[in-house]
Amino acid sequence: MASILPKPNKTRLAQLAELSAKIFNNVYNPKGERTGNKILRQKLIGPTIVEWYPKRIITLRKITDMFPSMKLVDQEEKLRLEEIAKRKKRGKGAPKKGKGKNASFAKKRK
Amino acid sequence: MPRIRQARVRRDIKTRETVAATELIRQAYRYITRNEQIHSRIRQQAQLMLNALPRETRPTTIRNRCTETGRARGVFRDSRLCRYQFRLKALNGEIPGVKKAVW
Repeated sequence: MASILPKPNKTRLAQLAELSAKIFNNVYNPKGERTGNKILRQKLIGPTIVEWYPKRIITLRKITDMFPSMKLVDQEEKLRLEEIAKRKKRGKGAPKKGKGKNASFAKKRK
Repeated sequence: MPRIRQARVRRDIKTRETVAATELIRQAYRYITRNEQIHSRIRQQAQLMLNALPRETRPTTIRNRCTETGRARGVFRDSRLCRYQFRLKALNGEIPGVKKAVW
């Protein structure tokens, strides 16, 4: 079915599109420029990222410090300290500052 | 108890916090640089500002580590455990809905 009315020209059509965008609250972007709205639409990842590791609010150390009268002992820490004491007795402890392997290297370089 | 690689985990926690704190400003700069309707000079400046931000503010520096051992590779996202810890816990029945396949 051919219409009786003449076809509107391009500029008129563009004006119509602009007006309709204004009325219906749409974005009028005839050139198809990138507006960066993609970035505004992205969700913020911060809150989900932060909670990856479970937070250990109460540690054994805190409990032992809170109740010194109960004389609670951290078994692992106790073993570690005992091991260090043993090694020190045999002369295998950590070197003093400036007496280690790396420290002597640094001295030579100077 | 498996040994935790504390230092790496702590570093990752710190980067996560900085990323979360600077996320908004990063997105703002990103929006300006990608928007072609803004003047090119402003866009360029925004890109430079984005580049000047420290390394820890980039979300790609975040590494999903095992919450039990701190291992960086072979970590399942949903259980947040590395494959070996996942296996141990699953066999122990500590992960709900996971069962060893038998056929």
